[in-house]
Amino acid sequence: MVNVIDYMPGDTLLHRLNPVVKLGLAAAIIVGIFLSDTYVALLGFLALTLALGAYAGVVDRLFSLLKLLIPLALIMLVLQLAFMRDGNVVWGFITDTGLITGSKACLRLLGVALPLILMLMVTKLNDLANACVEVLHVPYRYAFTFTTALRFVPVFGQEMNAIMEAQTARGVEYDTKNPIKKLKLMLPLCVPLLISSVGKTDATALAAEQRGFYLRTRASSYKRYPIKGLDIAVLIVSIALIAIGFLF
Amino acid sequence: MKTIINVDDVSFSYGAQTEQALKHISLDVNKGDFIGIIGPSGAGKSTLAACLSGAVPHHYTGTFFGSVMVDGNDTCEVSLTDVSQIVGSVLQDIDTQMVASVVEDEMLFGLENFGVPHDQIEQRVSETLETVGISDLRDREIATLSGGQKQKVAIAAILAMRPRVLVLDEPTAALDPASSTLVFETLREANRALGITIVVVEQKVALLSEYCNRVLVLNHGEIALQGEPHEVFAHTDELRTIGVDCPRVTRIFNSLEADGLASGTPCLDVDEAERLISGIVDPAHAASEAQAPAGSPHAPSLRPHAKDAEPVLTFDHVEFAYPNGGAAVHDLNLTLYPGELVGIVGQNGAGKTTLTKLLTGLLKPASGSVRVTGLDTAAVPTSRIAREVATLFQNPDRQICKDTVLDEVAFGLELAGIDRAEALRRAQLVIDRFGLPADEAPFSLSRGQRQMVALASVVVVEPKIVVLDEPTSGLDYRECMTVMETVRTMAERGCAVIMVCHDMEVVSDFAERIVVMADGRILDRGRTHELFSNIDLMRRAYVEPPQVIELSRRLASSVSPAFAQVSEVTDVVRITKEMVRRG
Repeated sequence: MVNVIDYMPGDTLLHRLNPVVKLGLAAAIIVGIFLSDTYVALLGFLALTLALGAYAGVVDRLFSLLKLLIPLALIMLVLQLAFMRDGNVVWGFITDTGLITGSKACLRLLGVALPLILMLMVTKLNDLANACVEVLHVPYRYAFTFTTALRFVPVFGQEMNAIMEAQTARGVEYDTKNPIKKLKLMLPLCVPLLISSVGKTDATALAAEQRGFYLRTRASSYKRYPIKGLDIAVLIVSIALIAIGFLF
Repeated sequence: MKTIINVDDVSFSYGAQTEQALKHISLDVNKGDFIGIIGPSGAGKSTLAACLSGAVPHHYTGTFFGSVMVDGNDTCEVSLTDVSQIVGSVLQDIDTQMVASVVEDEMLFGLENFGVPHDQIEQRVSETLETVGISDLRDREIATLSGGQKQKVAIAAILAMRPRVLVLDEPTAALDPASSTLVFETLREANRALGITIVVVEQKVALLSEYCNRVLVLNHGEIALQGEPHEVFAHTDELRTIGVDCPRVTRIFNSLEADGLASGTPCLDVDEAERLISGIVDPAHAASEAQAPAGSPHAPSLRPHAKDAEPVLTFDHVEFAYPNGGAAVHDLNLTLYPGELVGIVGQNGAGKTTLTKLLTGLLKPASGSVRVTGLDTAAVPTSRIAREVATLFQNPDRQICKDTVLDEVAFGLELAGIDRAEALRRAQLVIDRFGLPADEAPFSLSRGQRQMVALASVVVVEPKIVVLDEPTSGLDYRECMTVMETVRTMAERGCAVIMVCHDMEVVSDFAERIVVMADGRILDRGRTHELFSNIDLMRRAYVEPPQVIELSRRLASSVSPAFAQVSEVTDVVRITKEMVRRG
């Protein structure tokens, strides 16, 4: 199973930016989306994210992520339509205000999720952690905790799959069509998953300590993450994006 | 020789446990040693390794007596970080050892932390990758590597820090024989070229005897035997009572020695054994014995299955490929009758696990058909197939999900629709037979006992087919024999058994037929012995044949054809003795 946040190697400008600046750009797009209130701006930010994805060569994976997000967005739309009682009735229980706020909420949801994922796709986790430590002065143990947690997501996913396979082979009906029944069957599996997770986490802590984790300082990283001209340009663009969000 | 680690009268128990994991261990690790630690499960091997690396007492706390001096420093007095600058350690589960997602970053982590000057880092990384032979993997994502490659990355990441001692806990447990040998070659290279002292916990006796200069046998937390491999493996009987296997050729030597035919140091590999036997038997005489005892009364005979019995399993031109790549299989054809015990051999990635998943219905064939007791796996749900097919997984922890052993064993029966009272009654019978504690929580048991619980859950449902996926990994010799004897009894009662196993000795002892796989295809199938003697086939599948079969194949061509088709220790000994008597 390919994980959506896996690093995609590449040599585009987006790949070469300082990881912290990438984080800033993603944050700027998100803030911009929260601030803006017109369709043009919302769609514009979404289009910008996808265009950046296309430029970095990861747009197909962004689209596969969109496929997962769109149903979620539609559920939100339905809820908004059901609860928004202002405005004129368009059809049945749907009002025009509900339609407008609902569709904007949908676009916001999509627009907020994608930039961060895009940023993780074009940045190695280690670079992100090291750059945060060097540029932002984040203590290394927090950066390490964050990257390790992200790295363990697929590991636990695989473990869960293996456990489900083992249980299916024993005759537990995970192949049932009924999602509630499936969820009920999955609950007992938390025990084996939890036990293996605790063991793994403990072993990771030991391995890190045995490789000098506690000696690490801000200057330890072999790779350097200086802020270059390009990075400053992108930061200015980021501020401009926030301003655009504020104005529109 | 200078001592680098001195263990003096160390006893250790975890937490409040009264049972000591180690009892009065004293040991000197000398510079340049290559020490192997072996012993049954629960003997304290991992604990001893943890003591050497400083993880005991710093990470695992408990009651610690005695002292461990690493390069003159007491590990209780200095920090774990200090100890680990001298002793590098590679943990049992490699996935947890990794801190990065790309090989290069993994290499850098330790170097950066220990403050290696940045102008030396590049050279260290490239040199170490070179030594371990993985320079081409430098920019790869760790998640995309094979088990053997990952293990090498883990070793390289530690070696780059230039420790003076390297401690490894079962580095080959999850690897096929070819990758295991490569890992040990890497260790030997580090030992010889870089002068790094190696301490390795390992269950594979053949590797220990070939690569180590000292072997340590642990039992119940004490050192039972230690010395050169030749000395240690001479104590076959003692080792067997402890629960440790011996190389098969060593058993041949010991039997011959008991009869006064051999003396001196025991042989540990096929070369030595061949020299020994051809030295005892006069080839001139032996040649004239050509018609002498051909075949062997002990050769595993094909279990007679009824002539018109219906096959319980058929694979008909089965194709399967994973959507994201990975071990695809092509044109699999296979027929299995009740009561057969078939081994599937091949290296990692040959498609063995894919085959078993197709069998259990976890995967459905892309084309062709798989029929299990007449059911087409593509047409019925997996949970239905599970009533006919039971799987014993490599890792029992993935299938255990109940609070007590009794509930766990009864669970399979309940899933099959048997009412609870009857299920509990049957489960109790099986639990009694295995001597398991019925009311304990499965996760509080030892690894070996958890595997027995999993085995009991398989036995209790009385399946038509049993699938064993690496049934012996992580088990010691005695537990492994218990599992295999149980499975053999099931086969004798008419259950068909398919076994995927890396331990060729186990395969040749228990399987009467084998299927040889490589690159997702079945290369050949047939009698175990015939295929193992086919060197060309074994080479194509990257499988190393069991020692006794390799020995008898060589003896058949160099000494006497009487050795052909012999696969048991006792037969080699018997034929040799007969030849000496007649000669």
